[in-house]
Amino acid sequence: MTTAANATTIANLADAPAEDRLASAIALVARQFPERTAIVANAGGDTRRVIDYATLTAAITKLEGELAAARPVGIVARAKRVESLVVIAAACGREHVPVAFLAEDARDLVGELRDWVPLDDSLTLPAAAVAGPRREFETVPPQVVVATSGTSGPPKLVDHSWDSLLAAARLAEQWHGRGWLLVYDATRWAGLQVWLQALLTAGRLVVPASRDPDLVAKACVDEDVSILPATPTLLRRLITSGDRAAVAKMKLDRITLGGEAADAQLLEQAKTLFPNAKITHVYATTELGEVFRVTDGLAGFPAEWIGRQLPGGARLSMRRDGELLVQLSRDTAEVGTGDLVERRGKRFEFTGRRSDVIVVGGAKVFPKRVEEILRGVPGIADARVYGLPSAITGELVAAEIVVNEPLPAGTTPDQVRSAALAICRERLEPHAVPRLVDFVKKLATTPAGKIPRR
Amino acid sequence: MTPLESIAAAIRTVLHDTGRDAAAIAPEMLLAADLGLDSLDLAQTIVLLERSLGVDPFRSAPAAAPRPAIRTVSDLVSIYTAALNSPH
Repeated sequence: MTTAANATTIANLADAPAEDRLASAIALVARQFPERTAIVANAGGDTRRVIDYATLTAAITKLEGELAAARPVGIVARAKRVESLVVIAAACGREHVPVAFLAEDARDLVGELRDWVPLDDSLTLPAAAVAGPRREFETVPPQVVVATSGTSGPPKLVDHSWDSLLAAARLAEQWHGRGWLLVYDATRWAGLQVWLQALLTAGRLVVPASRDPDLVAKACVDEDVSILPATPTLLRRLITSGDRAAVAKMKLDRITLGGEAADAQLLEQAKTLFPNAKITHVYATTELGEVFRVTDGLAGFPAEWIGRQLPGGARLSMRRDGELLVQLSRDTAEVGTGDLVERRGKRFEFTGRRSDVIVVGGAKVFPKRVEEILRGVPGIADARVYGLPSAITGELVAAEIVVNEPLPAGTTPDQVRSAALAICRERLEPHAVPRLVDFVKKLATTPAGKIPRR
Repeated sequence: MTPLESIAAAIRTVLHDTGRDAAAIAPEMLLAADLGLDSLDLAQTIVLLERSLGVDPFRSAPAAAPRPAIRTVSDLVSIYTAALNSPH
């Protein structure tokens, strides 16, 4: 390594083969600042752990040695700790060993990865692997396998190259040495993007002990988080239910939303609470990777983007029924995204996922629209709308609501419920008005941090 | 509560939720003509009854079984009484 400034060297990582970048970036920081914090795990909890860059790079080097000796067909990352996942990814990349990240709900898919070797937090190859089938030298391109989140069907495995995995990573100096919050599952596409980005740029990855909004807010303040990637659902929960004093102390300068559509209401709330934060909405899927990002702080995307080639090379179009179609490049096929969009003025806004649509007596209901109305009712902090099976009408619209704590003096939850139903009757077709409304302390979220719809 | 009382309570909730007045409910009353219930209201009534009585006779019935006519409150009472007394 030369004496060149750290910043320049990190930016130069882009010239290195993609599969080498993670290990190289970590080693680079470890050489210059061995004790710099790479990961704060269980932040805000009793078992907070700090892992520095020197420790990470030492573990990577050790695992590289084992992989070089055993040359396994592939590695299935079974580790629970984020730092272990980082070590596995970096060492596998460097050694050109394919690696798979399977989230909890995708573990059954491991059968598709024949002869691949599981690797847990011990970061030691099992004895059977050392004696097991070996991969011929360089016959397989280095690859990364990630399971889809199962938002629109059972999880499935998707093959990526290191180039596509790192395509969205930003290496410019403005991204160096920042504090990143990881609320996503570290084994899913969205989570991988966050920790790869943080550790490629000498950053500090802060992993809260749970998704409890009070704890997340405290971890952000205590660990000096400045960049918050989250689903709109997780951000909304932080804003509506997180400890007010802690949320007010958070010093965010970037919020990156993804995984679900962000509505105008949430974007406004976020702007008010975090006036210095740049709010970006990333449109990405596990299969396609990042397709586009919207940075103007408004819901949806500009209408003129439909039918035009975007800066990243993707082309957007729309099916007759409103489904957004994406063609990543001229050589690839156009694929349906399952996301429905609708023109509102100069924007296309997301109305929901096709699979989320509730069909009541043959008529469609977009749950997201009903949720937006419910969230606007005084006294309601958050809401989830889903379809309930019915023998009479096929489905029925049901809602769970979280009321503000405390409610204004003299207001009862029943009054909030009646007011909510009255507003829904006024603004929605009769079949779209929720027929079952339950009060809950907190809303369920999927493992990917989204709203469950069934 | 008897099945009739549970059914009357469910119908009152449906009427209240949809901004209508909850009238007195008697067994011989016609669900549509006298109480003004449409299919959505009936679907909601059934969901509410599943919660209070623990059965949904419309969902658990075999698909091939003919669906009994539901015209009056008392039709509902018979269907729920039968479902509550069935060994399943």
